Parts: sequence; structure tokens; C-alpha cells
Amino acid sequence: MEELTNIRQAREGDPEAFRALFDGHRQQVFALAYRYLRNRTDAEDVLQETFIKAYNGLPGYDPAKGLNFAAWLNRICVNASIDAMRRSKVRETGPLGPEEAAAMSAPSHSSDPERSARSAEIREKIDQALARLTPTQRMVFTLRHYQEYTTREIAQALQSSEGSVKKHLFRAVGLLRKHLRKYVVEDGYDL
Amino acid sequence: MTCKKARELMVLDHYGEAGAEDKARFDEHLGKCPACAAERSETRRLFALIDAHAAEDAPTPDWEKVWRGVRTGIAGERPTRQPALAPWRRWPFAGPALALVLVAGILIGRFGLAPAPRPAVSAAAAPSNGGAPNGIRPAFAAYLEDLKPILLDYAHYVPGEKAEGRVVVDESALRTLMLQNVLLKRKLAEKDPAAADLLDDLDLILKEIVNRGPNDTNSPAEIRDLIEKRDVLFKMEILKKT
Ligand SMILES: [Zn+2]
Repeated sequence: MEELTNIRQAREGDPEAFRALFDGHRQQVFALAYRYLRNRTDAEDVLQETFIKAYNGLPGYDPAKGLNFAAWLNRICVNASIDAMRRSKVRETGPLGPEEAAAMSAPSHSSDPERSARSAEIREKIDQALARLTPTQRMVFTLRHYQEYTTREIAQALQSSEGSVKKHLFRAVGLLRKHLRKYVVEDGYDL
Repeated sequence: MTCKKARELMVLDHYGEAGAEDKARFDEHLGKCPACAAERSETRRLFALIDAHAAEDAPTPDWEKVWRGVRTGIAGERPTRQPALAPWRRWPFAGPALALVLVAGILIGRFGLAPAPRPAVSAAAAPSNGGAPNGIRPAFAAYLEDLKPILLDYAHYVPGEKAEGRVVVDESALRTLMLQNVLLKRKLAEKDPAAADLLDDLDLILKEIVNRGPNDTNSPAEIRDLIEKRDVLFKMEILKKT
């Protein structure tokens, strides 16, 4: 398989082979980091850090142990993202970048200005509620809810047990319910 | 089924991860427990709210800029042969050697108790008149580097995690770290209050770790919370760079 050849050659120090691995997996790694960090620059930093760590860790990576390369990269990305989140906790109240602000105010349901303002407000509240979770709770919720990982896959990514992943997930959902109760009730969201 | 268990199952059920048997007992519980039924309804509405306001897709990053950063980061290096484990996971094997290195290297070298290696000598010869004394700075940075793997391991702790994957630092190494803390604080207290504050936080955490011992099952979570509450890892990153 081509990927295994690239892994072997990158391990020998071949930059072209490593570039091919980067090209093949950059989108998935960036999407995960961005979904979690909600900031393009931070996610780019994590993407870069993930591939540097991956390069240095290649000799210890053994596909025969059952973890495919994508899952292995995700594991590195998850840890780097959590660390980045801890580092950025203090500056999280700063203004949004232009892209985040645009994304925040983009109308999602209709062109009715009142509705889209309300929608932007709720989206901001959801972001704020997510920001109040601990970095690990937020990662568990992001992986389960947005990235559609199973709790088993999350445990693999966090090198943790399924039981502790579930505890983080229950706690995260409980806190989101608490922080967003007002909107859940007012907007009458239902199935 | 208890209400606590039912509350957990309503989350797993939403994600299709409740087993058939659990789900049947859960449905049965909901039929009899209005509180849990109401909570389930609210949970469903929460998920509907979140999904209706999903954030936009990720922007497209500057792939070439990121790749240049990767190239710089790995430039001239062949991948080094390291275990796949994160660095802090390797610590259990380093206990006695670590203690030795810390005592010999740091107390003697970094603190100038004996002829010091290159950086400390030149820096000590030209003490700065503002900010932290330069001579102690490398020692302070190295001290933070030494502590980081231990703190990271606690910071990543999740309840129920198996003990064998965790850092085991022997008590004498911890006490050495506490001693270094005192020495560093003495040197830094006047000139660098931020560093001294961080050292206070670190001292508190080290004391917690030592006093609780390895058998206190609550301690990892509480130490993790202490690290998080005081933003210790963030402060370490900032102060290491200044
Ligand atoms: Zn109940």
C-alpha cells in the first residue's frame, strides 16, 4: 500500500514521502483542530505541531499494532489541541477574527434579519457554553457530537478508558443543558 | 434503574450507544419517572438547538504556510528513535536516575554551589539591573521543563484511568523539586514577582502530590483541578519565554 511505503520512506528521512502523508491527512487533522478550537490560526498551529510531532514519532509508530495512520495522527492532534486550548484559555474573551465573526453572523435559516440576529446570538451562546467546559470535556463533546466518534474511538484518541470518556460526556452535556436552558426553553426546540 | 443511570443513558441513547438491554430498562424507567422523562425531553431539545445552530464549516487554511512551518520544525532531522509514548509516560522508568540528575545537576550546576557550566557563569558575571537576574533564568526555565511532564500527566487525568499509565515520580525526586523551588524563590522573589507567584503555585501542587501519596484515589482529579484553576501550565509557558 502506498501509504505504508510513504510511512517507511518518511521514517528514513525522505521529505517527499512525508509531504505526501501531510497532503493526504492535513484536511482531516485541520478540521478536527478547527472544530475544537474555533480559530483558524490556532488550528493551523496545531496542524503544524501535529505533523512535526508525527515526524519525530514515526519510528515508534507501528501500523501492525492496529492503529491506522489517520487515527494515530488524530491522537496527536487531540492532545495538541487540548494543550492549545489550555494555553488560549486566558485570551478567549478577545474579539473574534474576521472569519469567525463572519461565520458567527452568517444567516443560517432565512434572510429575515431578526431571525438571523437571533440565530447569531444563539450560536454565540453555544460557543460560550462550550468555552465553559474543561478542555477535556469540550474535546470529548466535540469528538462525539460533531466528529461522530464513538466513545470507544474517543477513548483511543485520548488514551483513556471508555468509562472515563462517558463521564466527561455526561458532564459536558449536563453543563451545556444548564448554560443553554434559557434558549432551549424560549426557542422551543423540539424534535 | 436509578435516575442517575437513566440520565447517563439518555445521552448514550441519543448517540445510539445504549445497549439493547439498557435501552429497554431505560424506556421502562422513563414510563415511571416524570423527572427523567422531562429531563430527556430537555436533552433532546438541547441537541436540536445545537444542531440548528451548527457553526460554519472550517475555513481553508494556508496549507503551504503550514507545510513550511512543518519543514522548518523537522529540518535536518531524521525521525529520532523514540517510544510512541508521550514523554511524560516514560517517566516511570526514570525515577532514580532523575533524582540523581536533579540533585547533582541542579543544586550544584544551576545554583552555582560549585563551578557552574557555561551559561550560568557568564550570566552571573553580568547581573541585570532590571527584571529577573539573568543567571537564575536558565535554572528557572529548566526547572519548569522538569516539572512539566508531571503536571501534564495530572492535567490530562481522567477519572477511572488505569494507574499503570500514569507518572510515578518517587518521593525523593518530588522533595528535590520542592527544595529547588525554595532556592529559586529566594533568588527570584524580589526581581520577578510573577515567577515567584508561579513558584508558590507549583509548591502548593508539589506538596499536594507528596502529602496525598500514591494511594489516595481522589488526588489525581483534585490536583488536576488545582493545576487548571490556577492556570499553571499557561503561566509556565508564558514565564518560560520571558
Ligand atoms: Zn428517574
